[in-house]
Amino acid sequence: MRVSLFVTCLVDQLWPSVGTATVAVLRQAGCEVTFDRRQTCCGQPAFNTGYRAEARSVARHFVATMEQGDAQAIVIPSGSCAAMVQHIPELFDATDPWRARAQALAGRAHELSAFLVRELGIVDLGARFDGRVTWHDACHGLRDLCIKDEPRRLIDRVAGAERVEVESSESCCGFGGTFSVKYPEISVAMLDRKLEAIEARQVDAVVSGDVSCLMQIGGRLQRKRSRVRTLHIAELLASRG
Amino acid sequence: MSERDAVLAAVRRNLAGVEPPEPGVAPEVRIPGTATPTERLARFRAQLASVGGRVEVARDARVAAALLRDIVAEKGARTVAVSDAALARELAAGLDGVDGVAVACDAERAFLLEADLGLSCAQWGIAETGTLVLESERERNRLVSLVPPVHVAVLQAGAILATLGDALAAVRRPEHGAPSRAVTFITGPSRTGDIELTLVVGVHGPKELVVIVIDPEESER
Amino acid sequence: MSLPTHHPTSETFRANALAALADDTLRGALQRATGTLSERRKAAIAELPEWDALRARARAVKAEVLSRLDHYLEEFVARAQEAGATVHWARDGARACAIVAEIAAGLGRPTIVKSKSMTTEEIHLNEHLERGGLEPVETDLGEWIIQLAGEMPSHITAPAIHKTRGQIARLFVEKIGSEPTDDVQELTLAARKALRRHFAAADLGISGVNFAVAETGSILILENEGNIRLTTSLPRVHVAVMGIEKVIPRFSDLELFLRLLPRSGTGQHLSGYQSILTGPPPAGGEGPAEMHIVLLDNGRSAMLREEVTRQSLACIRCGACLNFCPVYQQIGGHAYGSVYPGPIGAVITPQLNGLEKTAQLPFASSLCGACRDVCPVEIDIPRLLLHLRALVSEGRDLPGFDGTVPRKRGEALAFRLWAWAMTSPRRYRAAAALARLGTKLGLSRLAPPVAAWRAARELRPFASRSFRDQWRELER
Repeated sequence: MRVSLFVTCLVDQLWPSVGTATVAVLRQAGCEVTFDRRQTCCGQPAFNTGYRAEARSVARHFVATMEQGDAQAIVIPSGSCAAMVQHIPELFDATDPWRARAQALAGRAHELSAFLVRELGIVDLGARFDGRVTWHDACHGLRDLCIKDEPRRLIDRVAGAERVEVESSESCCGFGGTFSVKYPEISVAMLDRKLEAIEARQVDAVVSGDVSCLMQIGGRLQRKRSRVRTLHIAELLASRG
Repeated sequence: MSERDAVLAAVRRNLAGVEPPEPGVAPEVRIPGTATPTERLARFRAQLASVGGRVEVARDARVAAALLRDIVAEKGARTVAVSDAALARELAAGLDGVDGVAVACDAERAFLLEADLGLSCAQWGIAETGTLVLESERERNRLVSLVPPVHVAVLQAGAILATLGDALAAVRRPEHGAPSRAVTFITGPSRTGDIELTLVVGVHGPKELVVIVIDPEESER
Repeated sequence: MSLPTHHPTSETFRANALAALADDTLRGALQRATGTLSERRKAAIAELPEWDALRARARAVKAEVLSRLDHYLEEFVARAQEAGATVHWARDGARACAIVAEIAAGLGRPTIVKSKSMTTEEIHLNEHLERGGLEPVETDLGEWIIQLAGEMPSHITAPAIHKTRGQIARLFVEKIGSEPTDDVQELTLAARKALRRHFAAADLGISGVNFAVAETGSILILENEGNIRLTTSLPRVHVAVMGIEKVIPRFSDLELFLRLLPRSGTGQHLSGYQSILTGPPPAGGEGPAEMHIVLLDNGRSAMLREEVTRQSLACIRCGACLNFCPVYQQIGGHAYGSVYPGPIGAVITPQLNGLEKTAQLPFASSLCGACRDVCPVEIDIPRLLLHLRALVSEGRDLPGFDGTVPRKRGEALAFRLWAWAMTSPRRYRAAAALARLGTKLGLSRLAPPVAAWRAARELRPFASRSFRDQWRELER
């Protein structure tokens, strides 16, 4: 299967290892990966902050870029970006041709773990990681895309990894896009509450499907000089011990 | 323009062009343990017990009257207010001659406000939630079931309905389809969690609720 | 009764939130309380496998009634009047307060008892009556506590949730001269005794309404304490104040909402008491000789216009969204500066007051969606938050308001530039290179968002080689 990778702007610029790991994982799963270098962003930051016109123009660029090529699926290593792609059609009026184009694209765009498990039926990527890990349910992936079991099943097949469930796995890490810097004190208070529960379980790494959450969680763990690491699911699945 | 006209005009103006949605159907909800009278009584008792209500079962009015005497003695009640229902009065007659207990039917407010115990019937019970249903047009029961700190309610087992919906249908008066002016659902004694979410039983309404269910099948269950 | 002193307002949301975060006692109380209520809700809905179907049905019934609200209001009024109730209409809070004051004036100087009603707090009814020399006494335990304290409620169903028993004990000693005690039972008993005196003497009882049934002209009010039953059955006159959105079509619809509301809000199968009142009693019957119902618009009709805002009128005031909101759990209700706090408050407060003074509220959320998941009538609060954010970014107020909505010019410019960069791969790369350079030169710390981030978190640096730079090697 040919897939087109939408790597997301945050991964591209701040966390490229997630991108390379995603490519490795997809190839391991038997896919041919293409990457259109004209891609930029899905428009989520503007949309979430209320700048619809700006979100629309960026969304048009996204649609125009990603609908090209002959890939059967678009794979996105981010729950929030994948969820945004599902919302892009709403940005356009019912009569606007962009809406139908966006809808067609949304129909074949998938978040990474959902793609592997639901579309390809694959849970074992031959990965190896020694340590206790816990999964953080990023909000958009969980609530907009119903991604809950898939990453857990993938992690359970990672040799050497012990997956630990934490009660606060579904509570928001406090990122919320611009919320994290508009109301940083509330954002960090939400984060600390979540981290308390995680640190009580003595895990080695927090795993998530969203680098935005990992930046928030990792940024605080580092400031607190915690030994707990953060890992994107792609990095975990590409890990060979 | 009258207030009524102003509000309705504003509502209409803002709803211009809005299509009412497709009517849907209410989902079927199965409430377990309500198919037979035996099950309904059992569920009623369990639900009411779980919220701090007490249920006693009596075979007939005579046994019920004896139960009432015991409850009055147990609570140390000296003044008992009784509703105007025949069954309630029949039970209250069993208190005649009991030392130190004053009984008043048709009690004045002053008596009610000082009464230790209020006795009424309940027109229906709801097994789903352990609820009593009181209808103001069938009995003068609004204050006697509310003001004294102990409320004793007499309920026929056969009047225990399965669900909330059944009770809502039952209180529509056959004469005109409207419910009584005051229909009261009572599920347990009064309670609050307003202070630190700590449960306290007995706030403004009765602190204790005792339901005497009259069930002719009682000895056979 | 003391008039409220200082109330936090929505305009000072940021400062309110910071003050709340610094208050460890408050946060402890909030987290215990919201945690408990959330757990109870989970347990209660686990027993009802049809839960999601019921939510969908409730959403549909509300959509049905709201789409023809004028029709259902007229039906409700006709039936209620047939049953002997006196119905009043009020286009705004001031008019509603005047109506209630007039009814009170007709009774001389009545003793007034009140049961919990957010609608009456929305219109500041107590203050209005107090200015006329009357002293309405709140009878819901939590509401009475905050009335004594001169505060606003901090939660929809548990108004005094932010107070510890110690604080309440000291309040009682000061205001009603009770014995100091930390025992919650004894505190409650002291309240019962004190409030009984008011009930016994009351001439006028004021309540809210949970549901108004169009088919029969009935109102349903639910509670656990018994104060609503006392308020609506002991005095000579009962006044019920309700927002026009409280109408539901049929008597039988009550079953649906009675299954949803208590479970969602407090995890109970059913609240302790439901009073279903259809007009005043006949002559000689028990209860108030007069029943008045005041129908309040106060901005609700404007919310009907668009589907995205109309859904917020479906709210049945259960409080579940507050209990599950990670922001509310940290800052509590007072920070919102409104009678309606939490997620639902963040969306209806601007709609009832305009955005000029409430523009911060739609941004006080990480858009996590937990509220939408638990709402028993399926209100899509995040979608509404986004709708309001779009209005604020454009400097537009809601329909019916023409306040000055503060537009953040710097932010708007930043997003315009950002969009310009993001719509061309070349500009994107140039912008990234510029940002990388700025970081290297240490200029990034000048950007307020960066400083805000760095106060408590490490900031991940730009990678030396972006993914797209590495693609050529990966392609092979």
